[in-house]
Amino acid sequence: MAGMEKEELTNLQFSKEIKEHMGGETITSCYQCGTCASSCPVAKITERFNPRNVIRLALLGDRKKVLLGDAIWLCSSCYNCQERCPQEVEITDIIYVLRNISMKEGNMPNIYSEFAAGLLKEGRIVPMSKFLEKKRSDIGLPPLKPADVYSLRKILAATGFDKILQRKEEKVSL
Amino acid sequence: MDELKVGVFLSTCGNQLSKILDFDALMDFAKKIRSVVIVAKSSEYWRGEGLRTITETIRAGKINRVVVAESLPKLSEVNIVQAIEDAGLNPSLVEILDLKDHCAIPHKSTPSEAVAKAKAMILAAVEHVKLLEPVEKAEFYAVKSVLVIGGGIAGMQAAEDLADLGFAVNLVEKASFLGGLAARAGRFFPTDDCAICIQSPSSDVKTITHTSRKCVYRSGFTEIPNMKIYTNSRVTKVDGVPGNYKVTIEKKPRYVNEAKCVQCDLCTAVCPVEVPDEYNAKLNKRKAIYINVPSVYPPAYVIDDAACKFYDCAKCVQICPTGAVELNQQPEKIRINVGGIIVATGFQEYDPYVIKEYHYGDYPDVITNLQLARMIDSFGPTKGAVIRPSTKEPAKRIVMVQCVGSRDRRWNPWCSSICCMISLKHAILIKTAQPDIDITICYIDVRTTGREHEYYYEKARDLGIKFVKGRPTEILHDPEVNMLVVDVEDAILGKLLEIEADLVVLAPSLVPAEGARELSKILGIELDDDGFFKEYNAKLRPTETKMRGIFLSGGATFPKDAPTTSLHAHSAALKVSKFLSTGKIVKDKRIAIVKEEYCGDCEFCPVTCPYGAISLVQKDDEHFVAQVSDILCEGCGVCVGTCPVNAIELVNSRPDQMLVQMNALMSVKGTSKPLILAICCSECGHAAVDSCGMAMMEYPANVRVMKVPCTGILQVHQILEAFKVGAEGVMVVGCKTDGCHYEVGSEKAKRKVELTKILLREYGIEPERLEMINLVYIEGDKFAEAAKTMTEKLEKLGPLQLMKSL
Repeated sequence: MAGMEKEELTNLQFSKEIKEHMGGETITSCYQCGTCASSCPVAKITERFNPRNVIRLALLGDRKKVLLGDAIWLCSSCYNCQERCPQEVEITDIIYVLRNISMKEGNMPNIYSEFAAGLLKEGRIVPMSKFLEKKRSDIGLPPLKPADVYSLRKILAATGFDKILQRKEEKVSL
Repeated sequence: MDELKVGVFLSTCGNQLSKILDFDALMDFAKKIRSVVIVAKSSEYWRGEGLRTITETIRAGKINRVVVAESLPKLSEVNIVQAIEDAGLNPSLVEILDLKDHCAIPHKSTPSEAVAKAKAMILAAVEHVKLLEPVEKAEFYAVKSVLVIGGGIAGMQAAEDLADLGFAVNLVEKASFLGGLAARAGRFFPTDDCAICIQSPSSDVKTITHTSRKCVYRSGFTEIPNMKIYTNSRVTKVDGVPGNYKVTIEKKPRYVNEAKCVQCDLCTAVCPVEVPDEYNAKLNKRKAIYINVPSVYPPAYVIDDAACKFYDCAKCVQICPTGAVELNQQPEKIRINVGGIIVATGFQEYDPYVIKEYHYGDYPDVITNLQLARMIDSFGPTKGAVIRPSTKEPAKRIVMVQCVGSRDRRWNPWCSSICCMISLKHAILIKTAQPDIDITICYIDVRTTGREHEYYYEKARDLGIKFVKGRPTEILHDPEVNMLVVDVEDAILGKLLEIEADLVVLAPSLVPAEGARELSKILGIELDDDGFFKEYNAKLRPTETKMRGIFLSGGATFPKDAPTTSLHAHSAALKVSKFLSTGKIVKDKRIAIVKEEYCGDCEFCPVTCPYGAISLVQKDDEHFVAQVSDILCEGCGVCVGTCPVNAIELVNSRPDQMLVQMNALMSVKGTSKPLILAICCSECGHAAVDSCGMAMMEYPANVRVMKVPCTGILQVHQILEAFKVGAEGVMVVGCKTDGCHYEVGSEKAKRKVELTKILLREYGIEPERLEMINLVYIEGDKFAEAAKTMTEKLEKLGPLQLMKSL
């Protein structure tokens, strides 16, 4: 494993940490058969994502490479790998766990923080536009009411979502 | 009953115990116990002069109960008990205690406390021995005849061994011909020799040499005089007990007279019915009248009654030159009497049809290992050519897929253990014959653990067979060019591959033979979680089942290669021989006894008994009572612990016999520490206490040890009784729950301890005063540790406040 620190190779704490999260319990069942990789539609088009590799690095304890790399954000969540895994490793769910851990530490691709910012601002991930309003009226739907941003912000604050975003912003400004 | 005269013999173990224990005080103490007539001391009592003293005293009629204090009781017990039996006293009337490993050594730093404990131990032994009753030996008749179920190599090998040893052997095979799965494999790894080659029986005078090895059909196997072979037959009913089983065999008609058929093959030429050939894994079709291969036993055709039109056609009857076809044959019920049974039902290929992404059954060019084996066999449907079933053209690019349904939690989680070698064998055979054929094996791990197996793997690589570490996700088919594509990741390179193939060979997992579950019910034996027949103990009792008299051979317990199957079969045959060779089964009658007047209609003990020894029988019009089979009962007492009305007792482990021991052990205190009663099972629990002393480990002398057959015998009120007679804490010491010598006893005891803790709380007693620990022999340190912890805990809790309600 080129580029890996010696102590990282023996860091079993990371897989333990993953197992403590809901959805991450099955990670140690993996025996690296590669069924997930050959099932993966993303891996077919880019070498930047290989689910088997993500699990392997996580099991070896390369926390940095897993959480700071872009691989975990490339999963399309089709669940094909999880369906076919002979060891019933919940691969897609583990990738969600990895995303959550990464996000709590302030790492997320810009596209996600933009979605999140939109949610806090307008109460929607996809902002309303003239085009969408016209589409709705064309098929006879009433115009959308503005979202209850006040309540939403309260909820997001209660779950700590806003803090996660803050952390991301702090990282960017550094 | 005669007057009780107890002799107490105290060994100083070569004077080493006298340094710790005051033997004069012990002897004075023993002399004062009622019924004790002789108290003696010697340097050893388990052999030589000391042992002679005991036997002479018995012979002189001076004593009729014996208490011996000797070290290593489990070793010395055999000698002492045997000598006492020879001297004319029933061996059950002896109580052996260990003053060394259970008292002097572990308490060497507190000699006065050790003496008090030794007194208590002697008192307990004397009081116990006075209540013991003689146990007679029972002899059961054993039929020197054996039933072997399954006519593959596992069954044939065991049958041959037993027939050679002189037993009458009945071999039952459900198929129409002998040979089983192995015969269909064509060739065996790693020797590449014929699958049908077996060792000749020694009764075959012409081949009685050390090197004799022959094909099944010319081996003389089928001509062994004391062997009877039933093909086309199934075992449908088994009654009776070990040593004497009544077996019902149902034999389907063959419709061809074995004695008349000359294998001229005229019948198959006229038979108009064609059905898929099961023997060749449905690669081809066969007629309704058929023979698998020419070299099988019995050498006679058979009619498939599901396919044959019988009298609507009868062309075979007309053409048969010897009049061998007999359409009026009827099924037969055959009843035989055997002493032992060997289950050799083997394993079979899993149907990979359920694994949809591999499209077995959809794409004709996706086949299994067994189908490929039939193709490679020159007796097979393609006469040895490896072809694509879709076009019948030779296959030029072959991909083999390992672990199909194996090591897969969705289907079969186990590793089938021989598929790697099977696929390597096929690849080597094909590549050696036709080097231009391209072969790729997709694997998760290549497992070649047997003798010479790794060299086989090496050979495969040398021949140019390609290996890809990766389990394919899917097999695709391009209909335009009729080509298969295997979608796999090379997990070493992290590269996705699409391997083109003419033929894809799956290595399906190997699963228990069809009908294994049904047979296990007929025989009353267990299957493991994976559905294979369960061996009693993989290390100590392989090829045995929990039922005396029923044994296992070969792949019925797990997939095995031919060499291992042979070994397993020899082992099973040896076990049967040991069991039946004397024509009788001798067993002591230390069994559970039902008190019919209290027993009534519940089913607790029959359900609980790990050996199926208890059944309910009708007592009168309304009531049923439990009945214990004296040959099946192993004397564990788990039934006693289960009975809600104390209607069942174990001989020499009756409640009153246990109570006197408890009382005695608690009666001599001699220590300021709170008394603890450790109730140990006679197996690992007691042995762990032994090992504690043997390893010179110390624990406080307030811990007193009482032995019971199995902790499963304990009832809640007995544990409470211990507190009542003076114990301030109780430790129940049993085997590990998954290693209980009586299967379920430890588990039952654990639950009972939990239940008792609830009761203790109700009575206002701290539940921490009761504890169960599960140990094996080598865990003496854990016993010492637990004893110390318990003592400290009790000291902190203070004296036991016993409420009157208890």
